This record gives sequence, structure tokens and C-alpha cells, in this order.
Amino acid sequence: MNEARTILIRYDEIGLKGRNRRFFENCLLENIRQAFQGIHGIRFRMPRGRVMIDTSASHAEECARRLHFVPGVASFSVGFPMQPDFDALAALGVQLIEPHLKEGGELKFCVRTQRTDKGFYKTSQEVNFEVGSRIMGALASKGLTVNINEAEFVLEIEISHKECVVFDNRVAGIRGLPVGSSGSVLSLLSGGIDSPVSSFLMMRRGCKVDYIFFDNQTFLGRGGYDKVLRLSRSLNRYQTGGNVYVVPFQDMQVAIRDHCSSENRVVLYRRMMYRIALAVAEKHKYLGLVTGESLGQVASQTLENLAAVSCVVPISVFRPLIGMDKQEIITHARKIGTYEISIEPQPDCCSIFMPPRPATKSRIEKLERDENKFPWQELMQAAIETMEVIEPESATQVETR
Amino acid sequence: MIYLDNAATTPMDPRVTETVEQSMRRDFANSGTVYRIGLDAKQRIEKAAEEIAEALRLPSTHRLIFTSGGSESNNLFIKGLCFPDKKTAYLGLEHPSVLATLNYFGIFGNEPVRLLEFQRQGRMSLEAVAFLKKERVRLLCLSHVNNELGTVNDPEPLIAALRKESAKTRIFLDGVQAIGKLSLSPEVWPGLAGYSISAHKIHGPKGIGLLAYDSRLSLTPQIHGGKQQCGVRSGTLPVPLILGLAKTIQLAVEEVGETQTHLKKLNRHLIQGLKSLEDSQSDLNIRFNSLTEEDASRQSPAIVNFSFPPVEGEVLLHHLEEKEIYVGLGSACSAHSKEPSKILTGIGLTEEEARCSLRVSFSRQNTLEEVDIFLQEFSRAYQSLYPTFCKKPAGK
Repeated sequence: MNEARTILIRYDEIGLKGRNRRFFENCLLENIRQAFQGIHGIRFRMPRGRVMIDTSASHAEECARRLHFVPGVASFSVGFPMQPDFDALAALGVQLIEPHLKEGGELKFCVRTQRTDKGFYKTSQEVNFEVGSRIMGALASKGLTVNINEAEFVLEIEISHKECVVFDNRVAGIRGLPVGSSGSVLSLLSGGIDSPVSSFLMMRRGCKVDYIFFDNQTFLGRGGYDKVLRLSRSLNRYQTGGNVYVVPFQDMQVAIRDHCSSENRVVLYRRMMYRIALAVAEKHKYLGLVTGESLGQVASQTLENLAAVSCVVPISVFRPLIGMDKQEIITHARKIGTYEISIEPQPDCCSIFMPPRPATKSRIEKLERDENKFPWQELMQAAIETMEVIEPESATQVETR
Repeated sequence: MIYLDNAATTPMDPRVTETVEQSMRRDFANSGTVYRIGLDAKQRIEKAAEEIAEALRLPSTHRLIFTSGGSESNNLFIKGLCFPDKKTAYLGLEHPSVLATLNYFGIFGNEPVRLLEFQRQGRMSLEAVAFLKKERVRLLCLSHVNNELGTVNDPEPLIAALRKESAKTRIFLDGVQAIGKLSLSPEVWPGLAGYSISAHKIHGPKGIGLLAYDSRLSLTPQIHGGKQQCGVRSGTLPVPLILGLAKTIQLAVEEVGETQTHLKKLNRHLIQGLKSLEDSQSDLNIRFNSLTEEDASRQSPAIVNFSFPPVEGEVLLHHLEEKEIYVGLGSACSAHSKEPSKILTGIGLTEEEARCSLRVSFSRQNTLEEVDIFLQEFSRAYQSLYPTFCKKPAGK
């Protein structure tokens, strides 16, 4: 086997797109390029319906590892580029199959060929036969049998007009759409299990996600802030450069706690968070807010309370977890690698901020009456003015507002 | 910065840093090898061990085992001696590395005996001794100095009482918070089955500690391997850390008199300061959880623990943090759980009193001026937080 490898990337959902397909493809290609930064000697190609990457055996493994983090990739295979010569193809096939054969055992196999160049002088079926029969000639005595429907080993051959690629693996990607193809959203990140999952799910639908965190260091210390930066670094593996807006929220929380009816506190905090997020979204042209709410999970996530917070912001609020139960959310969180960070203990709204009995059905008139009891507009302005934008990778401020 | 959380850890003494750094550059060889540079490393370790034994005035019956720190020393001795079926007892106010180790025995049906009913002001009353005999306890595990309260279990009367009334009960002391603050009389060693020490609590490096134990007892190893340290604790020995530990212990013991005098001064200043704050602020009520007496056989002067309901300790801690003043909430291990400290509720505090508390812990590097600034900022933070906490739960 020589050193050259070709990685073949499939993206089935983009393939369904009509006239703007080119846009999605370019977006995916750009994201893969970004993901491969620092790996040298790579060549990208884009024959119809595929992204092909030429690299070497030594880099292929790292490329494959990084492809697991690129939304839009449906599956990929690391294969061997070669001339479409049946003897050479069969010899490579024998080399790949042999280690799987067990003494005295049987191995079912088949060859599957796909031609992107229909001008090739043999049909796919004929190629299957030519290569398959040569491999059987060499390995039939060692227990290899042909079985097209129940093959345990599939040797795949893709033939284009100049060359062909042989591979024996298909690795599932995370599917979805390439990040950036759907525009930008602002995700309310808390440090819990849910909001990182909802951020990820929006990335997988093609959104570039920036994060907004409501911080209360005066009362709770820096632990929550550090955790949110770690979560956003972890999430940024699936995109490039999501930043975190850090909003000092202690004065607002104290004011609500001291002036408003205790059962409404949580919804009032959330209404203010939504309003501040909206102000940021309008200024920076985000097309929606994202939250980790799941219907009925806690008191603030009843239909009534969701309505009572949504109605303060004239912008789309996306809640990708709305129909999931906690277990499903945890399964996602484990899969994307944020769960271990989320479950680290963190001082959350300690007993002074959480009401003993939060209302499950807030009435909007009552909330508005509460909001007349403290100068929320001024507090909101002050919070936005002292907000910082942090790049999570370097934990440094990007710009001041 | 004003650092008042020295029971959690301490900044390194520059004299120790120098020793460690020099050794890190020089002593890379494995002390288990047979060529010269390995033998040199081995000699340095032996010399360090001798220096430690001398500083602690350890009798020849007792052996030193180097470990990664206090938690490992506690695990090694308790499990190594008593696992799985020897009867153990504890007061119920120990550090988690003692509590959790003993509770682990419970999984195997060997429930440790909890003596909380015999605690008086955070210390074990000698009335417990008769009970130990009745329960046929083989090992009694106690903190020498309680890590949250600073209260002292004085080994001398305890050993005498055990000898008299329950001769088959041996005693193990977690000495992590004691060394360098209290002087350990050489007369107590014969009565101590085991004693643990950690370097980083006394201005030494993290990652190194010590178990001193009576070598006539046989400990089952907890880490198996190359049979270093008589097979009791395998693993290549960290020469620089061991030299650092020796230097740390030497300094701690040499300076213990001076340190204690200084700590007492700080302690007195803080307690008086808090009392006069209480007098001048009608809404401030302080309850001292540590003892306010100066008898070092009852209370370590390094720790002052007090409650001030209704203001929550953790919130006050963060307010002090903004002024770069660092204090403790209790053991860092229990700071991770949302439950209030088991030590504080163990000595009879309500959950609220336990939650509304702070631990100030001094080292010889702190000054009276720092205590003054702490008092001033504590008072300021308390006043600003009091209104928020006092009307809990807020009505409509």
C-alpha cells in the first residue's frame, strides 16, 4: 500500500438542495478547510456530490478525527487513490481482506462499484465481477465467500473519469447543514446541561452560534463564568469563533428580588435576560435567540411562562429541546462532549435569588405591575454598557461596548 | 491580596522553593537504580527522612512513608491496617479523606462506630473511651486539629485514657492541620499508631505528604508495584518533593514557638475585632464556632470559624473576593457540595447557621494590618448584604 490517501466526504442533505446548492457546498468546503487548519499538504476537490481530499496516510487519521466535528458531513471514507486497473484493485482488495479472515472460519464479502464517470468502458456490475472474481481466486481457499446482501466486508470502488478510489469503511458524520449556511443566532448559555445541547442543535441546522451569559460574580463567584467559557470552547469545536457576551446581571437580580413578588422572580429574571439578548441581537443582526427550554421541565418552562417571556421580544426564539425529555437531552450532551463540563458543581442562583414557590402560571398584568416597581430600563442600559465580549479560546475580551 | 485561607493551602516558603528547584535541576535519577547517580538520589532521600525523623523526634519504632499527601496517608493507614473487618471508630467531624475511607468499610458490612454523641465543642470527650472498649474498637481515627474549626484533640490525655481503659484500641491522628501550629511532644509517639502530615498546608509543595506509623504494625499496601518503601507504598520516589517536604517540616518545627505566638496575636485581634463590630452594629450577631480561648491544647490559633446569620457565607466570600481578600467556607472538598458543612451541623449548628459561616485561617505570613482590613471589609460587605438577606422570604 502506498502513502497516498483520499478522503471522500458525502453530504446527503445538501445534495437535495436546488439552485442554491453551490452555496451550501462552498460553505461546507470552507468549514472543512477551517477545521483542517494546521494540517499541511492537503488538496481539496469537489466533483459533483462529493468533497474529495487528497492527503497522506500520516495525516489521514487526524483529518478523519476532525471531520467528526463538521456539521454537514453525512459520512466519510478514507480510501486509496489508484488507477482503475483490475489486477491492482484486486491485489489491494486481497491485502485489505486478508487480516479479517480467521482460520477455519467464513467471511462474506462483496464488491460495490459506483461510477461518477459513466464513460468508463465497463459497467459497475462488470467491475464488481472483474475485481471480485480475482479476489475470490486468491482467497476462496481461506474461507472467503461472496454474499451481496449480508456482506461482512464491503470493498467499495468509486470510479471517476481520471482515477478511482478504493475504500473499506464508511464513518458516520454528524449530518445536518454546514455552519454559516443558515445565518447567525444568539444562544443563552447558562452552564447547565440543556443550553449547550440546544446551541449544538442549531449549529447542526447551519447556524453560526454566539453565546450570551448572564453573570453574577458578586454573589456567586467566577465559577459560572469559567464554566461557560469551557462549554463554549467545547461547542466551538463544531464551528469557528463563537464568542460569549458576558452580561453583569447582579444588580438586576438584586432589584427584582428586593422589589417584586417572590413567586414571579424567575420569570422576571428571564424577561430581562430576553430583553438584553434582544438588544444585543438587534445591534449585531442575529436572526434569533436560542434557549435550552424543554416544556414543563421546571416551573419557568410551562406554556404560560414561556409565553410570558417570549412576548417581551419581537424576534424568533428557537427552543430545539422543547419536546425532549431530560434523558434525551443528556444523551445528546454526552455525545457532543459537554455533559462532563455541565455536571461540574457550580453555585447557581443561591437561595436568596430563588423563590420558595415560583409561579407556574404567571399572569402578564402582574408581571408588568412588578416591572413598574424598579427601574429596569436603567439597569438594563447599565448592564449592556458594562457587558464584555469574550473570545473563549483565549479568554480575552474581543471588544468593549 | 490578603490570603486568609491557609487551612486550604499555603503559599510556598521561598526557602523551600529553592530546595525543590535545586533538586529538580540536579536529582533526576531513579533512586531505585544501582548506579552512582541513582544511589546519590537514594542517599538524599535517606538523609531527608533522617532529618524529618529528627525534627519530629520520632522514636525508632516508627517508620516514615512518603505519600502524595494527607488524603493518601489517611487512606493508606486506615485501609492498610483495618480493611476489611477490623472495627474502627471516629468522631464524625473528620476530614472527608477519613470519613469516606471509613464509610467505604460499611459497604463490606463493617460499619465504623460514630462517636458524635461524645463530641464537646468539636473535640472528643474522654467519656468515649469506655464505649470504645465496649464496642471492641481496634482503631480510633481522629483529627489532631479539626480542619474547619481548629479544635484540638489533645493526644496526651487521650492516649493515657486508652492505655488505662481500652488498651486494645489504637489511635490514628490526622495531623495535617496541626503540624507547625502545635508542638508535638515526643512522649506521645509510642501511643500513636499512625499520624499523617501534608507539606502544602505548611508552606511546602503540593503532591507530597507523609505517614508516620508504628512499624510493628503490618500495613497492606494500597499501591502495588516496584516495592519501594518496604513494599508499603510502591512508586518511584519524587526526590525534589521529598527534599522539599524535609525542609518544610524542619522549618515548621523550628519555628513553631514563634509561629504560635504570632498566630495567637492574629487570632486574638480577629476575635476582638469581630466582637467590637458586633457591639457597634445592632444587626450583626456573631456566633463563634471555633473556641475563643487561647489554650493551644484545645484550640489551634490558626483557625477562626464564625457564623453571622442571615447573610450567607458564600455570598460574603465573593464580596470579599472582589476586594482581593480570600477566606474559606470550610473544607474545599465539602465546598463542592451544596449541603452545609457536616462538621458545623455536627457540633449543633442549624443548617442556616452553618451556611452563614466563614473560616478564616492564618499562617505565619499574615499580619495584624491584614486582619484590620479584613474586619473593615467584612463589616462593609455584611452591611450591604444584610438588607437583601433579612427580609427573606420576600412577600408580595
